[in-house]
Amino acid sequence: MLSPERLALPDYEYLAQRHVLTYMEDAVCQLLENKEDISQYGIARFFTEYFNSVCQGTHILFREFSFIQATPHNRASFLRAFWRCFRTVGKNGDLLTMKEYHCLLQLLCPDFPLELTQKAARIVLMDDATDCLMSFSDFLFAFQIQFYYSEFLESVAAIYQDLLSGKNPNTVIVPTSSSGQHRQRPALGEASMLEGVEASLFYQCLENLCDRHKYSCPPPALVKEVLSNVQRLTFYGFLVALSKHHGINQALGALPDKGDLMHDPAMDEELERLLVQVPGLVNSVTASSEASCLPSRTPSRVASPWRPLHHSRKVDVESDGSTEETDESET
Amino acid sequence: MIPGKYRSVSGRAANNVNCGLHLVIQTSSLPEKNKVEFKLSKDTSSFPGRLLQHDLERNYSSRQGDGRVLSPSPGSKSSCISTTTNVTELCGLEMKTATSSLSAFGDSSIQTPSKSRIRQGCHSAGPNVSGDHVNLVSSSMPSFPILQRSSEEKILYSDRLTLERQKLTVCPIIDGEEHLRLLNFQHNFITRIQNISNLQRLIFLDLYDNQIEEISGLSTLRSLRVLLLGKNRIRKISNLENLKSLDVLDLHGNQITKIENVSHLCDLRVLNLARNLLSHVDNLNGLDSLTELNLRHNQISFVRDVDNLPCLQRLFLSFNNISSFENVSCLADSSSLSDITFDGNPIAQESWYKHTILQNMMQLRQLDMKRVTEEERRMASVVAKKEEEKKRESHKQSLLKEKKRLTINNVARKWDLQQNRVANIPTNQDRKDPDSPSQDPCPVNGSTISAFPEETGPLDSGLISALQGLSVTDTHLVEVDGDTLSLYGSGALESLDRNWSVQTAGMVTTVSFTFIEFDEIVQVLPKLKIKFPNSLHLKFKETNLVTLQQFNALAQLRRIDQLTIDPQGNPVVNFTLWKYYVLFRLSHFSMQKINGTEVTQNDMIMAERLFGILAHVASSELPQYRMISILGDARKKQFQYLLEPKGKKPGIISEENNDSKRLVGENTNRATLNYTTRDFYNEKLEEVKEKKKFCKMYIEDLVKEATEINMKNEALQKLWPQMFIELVRDAVIEIRNKNSYMKLCLQQITDQK
Repeated sequence: MLSPERLALPDYEYLAQRHVLTYMEDAVCQLLENKEDISQYGIARFFTEYFNSVCQGTHILFREFSFIQATPHNRASFLRAFWRCFRTVGKNGDLLTMKEYHCLLQLLCPDFPLELTQKAARIVLMDDATDCLMSFSDFLFAFQIQFYYSEFLESVAAIYQDLLSGKNPNTVIVPTSSSGQHRQRPALGEASMLEGVEASLFYQCLENLCDRHKYSCPPPALVKEVLSNVQRLTFYGFLVALSKHHGINQALGALPDKGDLMHDPAMDEELERLLVQVPGLVNSVTASSEASCLPSRTPSRVASPWRPLHHSRKVDVESDGSTEETDESET
Repeated sequence: MIPGKYRSVSGRAANNVNCGLHLVIQTSSLPEKNKVEFKLSKDTSSFPGRLLQHDLERNYSSRQGDGRVLSPSPGSKSSCISTTTNVTELCGLEMKTATSSLSAFGDSSIQTPSKSRIRQGCHSAGPNVSGDHVNLVSSSMPSFPILQRSSEEKILYSDRLTLERQKLTVCPIIDGEEHLRLLNFQHNFITRIQNISNLQRLIFLDLYDNQIEEISGLSTLRSLRVLLLGKNRIRKISNLENLKSLDVLDLHGNQITKIENVSHLCDLRVLNLARNLLSHVDNLNGLDSLTELNLRHNQISFVRDVDNLPCLQRLFLSFNNISSFENVSCLADSSSLSDITFDGNPIAQESWYKHTILQNMMQLRQLDMKRVTEEERRMASVVAKKEEEKKRESHKQSLLKEKKRLTINNVARKWDLQQNRVANIPTNQDRKDPDSPSQDPCPVNGSTISAFPEETGPLDSGLISALQGLSVTDTHLVEVDGDTLSLYGSGALESLDRNWSVQTAGMVTTVSFTFIEFDEIVQVLPKLKIKFPNSLHLKFKETNLVTLQQFNALAQLRRIDQLTIDPQGNPVVNFTLWKYYVLFRLSHFSMQKINGTEVTQNDMIMAERLFGILAHVASSELPQYRMISILGDARKKQFQYLLEPKGKKPGIISEENNDSKRLVGENTNRATLNYTTRDFYNEKLEEVKEKKKFCKMYIEDLVKEATEINMKNEALQKLWPQMFIELVRDAVIEIRNKNSYMKLCLQQITDQK
């Protein structure tokens, strides 16, 4: 728990950096929101519940966008929640438009901005034809990169533009600035003929960016891996490569590998259980199924409102791992 | 059938042969059975025992199936023989037997076995006497035969001459017969009327069935009363200027296209123009005595001037081309007309035919040869009244429809504007909003509503109910049509605040929204639930349904069986998943139809398969504090909307609140999937922002305090071991010299005392 870094920073900054403050603020805010209800159940219980849900990653469900994007952990949790909830849509094989994916996102986060979805769609479709249909996995991985690293990608875009237009964005910082400029010349000439920018130069800039970037960045080693495979690349080419790189996906830790994307046995089991109820719901009168549903849930909630969640153990294992990884990648 | 009738009547005619030349017209349909007896002239009595009965029109027309008996309707008195009998037998010829002459009636073409045969003079070289009495001698002019009769003949039938079926191609010169009053040229081949100008006392001229092409040579026959020119080739009515005393004019079976040159015939009683080529009827001025006008079998499509015939009683328009009453409307203005026929016209096929005619022509006694009964007349007037009402109603309705159309157009225009404006200048729209409610309610509750009961007063009760509550204003439209409540424009939502009658509210099962933002609709859904508890079918068109989560809002309703989302103005319908999402989210309604398509079990399963996990996650993984907050919001929201209409009794609120609680309980695992309108959501975020700010400061202070304490604590922890050592050392040093320490201690004790 007490990592050596902790001593390097004043306590307050440390807490802020690890987003503890964010969660504390939010917890108090939530408490304030539902003062009456929560005080009935006990404040201590509430805080336990709150921080448990943060650990499990369920705290972001139906929250406002500003909160969802506030911390890397929240972002990872949201990605995971999105995958879990709409995996079935992908499993069904439906190809959807950007707008429809956006609607699905909005089901989880009512004020999710369209802009982010649009950008993610652009990664998949490589252009502005955002009305095209996309597969669930394509969209999900592109969206993951775009959403989790959105600030990083913005900076990358700026760097890329600078490189394209011939400026060296890192002139001040890169020690071998003269050589960088020297190499810049032919790159500019080629840029007009070839598309994109030279990979190695681009990597230098990115490495630099990662060093000083205060938001989360993909691990530089993996970025290097992505860029080492090609000579030149375009911005969207880079993003596509990022989104398809399973190492980055692993480092991010929110989603399973592409191969396992449709695989979630626990949820499938749950779904089967739900499906069994459906025919009954149609055949018999609705009231009966509702009636059966009503007593089973409501009284239990009244009796032990803060009963532990069924899946806490399983989710704990998974999301704990992801949180740790996230934290690492963040540094 | 008709010929039979004629025959029977004709038998009577034989008995009446000596009645003299008079025409009896009986309008048997009159209840009082008044006979109009018309003597052709006083001097007919000068032919005692001689009867010339003629009925011009039916005379010939009967043969052609055209004959319509003037008076003898089936129930008519058979005593009125007059009409049908037609004795073409003329005096000059022997009436051998009654039958022979009678057979001439009704079919005048039947050969009368007259003994006198007139041969065409041109064929016989000499005076070829064909009969005993008549010699037809070719004159000096080679073309005209000269007719001469024997003196006995002349004496016997001094005033009549029959030259029937003599194969004449021209009129013979008739010499020394100035006293002739009756001349018959039936069934010859005469092409031109000539050589009779000297017969100035002629009263009756029969040229039926010849080949005359033009009316001519009659100018001197000033006393002519009956002119029969049926079945000829006349194209034009002309040269009748001097025949001022003409009583009967028969021109049936010709090729006349136009009624003309008859306005001077002020004594004409009967005019037969059947089987001509008339396309319309006019130019009837001046025929002041006309009582009967036969226009059967023409191509008449409209009739004018009939109201200028003061004596017209019978008008026959059968088998023409009249298709609407407007084309014959002048008939309504004729006060004398009592008998009319329209059979064989398009108009007679119409369902409204009879009562329209009867209603417009109150004076009518007979229509299509049937007596008009009082009952029929009453029926006609009732029907006509109804028709009139219907017309007025439909007019009113079409007015309303037009008004409705205009309003909808207007609303649509506003909507389009708004849609653009929302994107561009949202502030402008915001500014506009407070204005419109202040303007709109006035027309809604003021003029339109109050004006309505008055307007709808005379209408059917069914229509009133159909139109009830239809309020048209420029900016929105509310309409109740049967079981459908249609709302156009956002202003229309205010109508839900109105006091709807229990009946109307109960009847409405379909509610349709057009040109209204869905977010605005969401806000009135609780009201809708209360005011129209039976609404089962919701229709949305041009309501800006964009996202799936908007459907969440519908879950709060009591029940929905059908949902229709028009693709127009609702982009959400383009999504592949929308139907399944609706089914999933509104599964507690077990909906029957979505956009007109039956919901199948497979659909339900698919919906569950796609979104079941979402519900599961939302229900089982949502932290309880979030659950409370979300459900609490929903409850609060409903409270807020319920509290909006002021003056509500508290009892209702609590009741409804229970209801909403129940509803929420019904689908716990989906209840968390709810929809807050954008405005409301932003409002909430704004509210939360304040709290957040406070929390931030609070936490900041707390953490700062905590870190400070922690720092002090840590500093203390750091110092503590050294301090402890120092303390121990001091203590040890102090007690090193035991004796002196003891002394010191004792000293202290004594000092204390």
